[in-house]
Amino acid sequence: MTRMRRKKNPHNIRDVKRASRTRARTKDLDQIQTDIAARVAAGVGDLVTGVPQPPRELDPDLPGLGQFYCIHCDKYFVTQPAMDVHLASKPHKKRIKVLKEPAFTQAEAEAAVGLRTDNTRGKKSSSAMNVETVHAGIFADLNA
Amino acid sequence: MRLEKCFFCSSTVYPGHGMMFVRNDAKQFRFCRSKCHKNFKMKRNPRKVRWTKAFRVAAGKEMTVDASLEFEKRRNIPVRYDRELMATTLKAMKRIQEIKAKRERVFMKKRMAGKKDQERSEALKLVQKNVELIQTPALKKKLMEKKIISAPGSKDVEMA
Repeated sequence: MTRMRRKKNPHNIRDVKRASRTRARTKDLDQIQTDIAARVAAGVGDLVTGVPQPPRELDPDLPGLGQFYCIHCDKYFVTQPAMDVHLASKPHKKRIKVLKEPAFTQAEAEAAVGLRTDNTRGKKSSSAMNVETVHAGIFADLNA
Repeated sequence: MRLEKCFFCSSTVYPGHGMMFVRNDAKQFRFCRSKCHKNFKMKRNPRKVRWTKAFRVAAGKEMTVDASLEFEKRRNIPVRYDRELMATTLKAMKRIQEIKAKRERVFMKKRMAGKKDQERSEALKLVQKNVELIQTPALKKKLMEKKIISAPGSKDVEMA
């Protein structure tokens, strides 16, 4: 009767605990979306396939000198073939799909329980006035 | 003391409870308990996890459009203390809570309307589909009388 959730972990992630340590932390979806937006704004690279890559600086500390980078998955690859395999893979395609919708924010979490921000100083904002007119009933009850 | 909301499940994080994660770009995430923190670390989307408020709101399971939800506000500019205002507010909080609870009950009732009929029709379908499993003759007879199931072999007779 309930909606069943298929297990979506690729089987090579065996140790979830290790993967979720702070030192092994990868970029969050909202950070990746910011990166992509910056790249789109700069107008470099084909974002769907990831090629051609914008010119990257040589970095000896990164795999493949930091030349093969998947912006969607925040991953470096050693060679172009290795990157091509990744770009054709399911986790990458899934990631692209997930990135299409806006990332979850604290504001959304608060809106879910009806908490909003009111930064009007002293005087009532127009929205607060509306609430009062809608709630004339409640206030009438209180005064009674 | 400000009562923050949990990033993952939107519940209130009381002082001394839960934990706060500060990302290396100085963005803060508050969690009400380790369950929420772990789920966040697994990069789960709260909109897709069924026990969070975000899911329940997105799936239409909670009352979202109602004026009784418009009272709680985060105020970054402090309000000057006024004894009378405080007294009215305290009085109002109780009353608003009552009204909110009442409206939530009505919402729930409306949402669940027709649920019983649906369950019944589903159960009937299940019985009709698996008639051969009913062993008790008395029960079979009763079902036949109520025309829930047809007499055995009746289909063949009609076809012949």
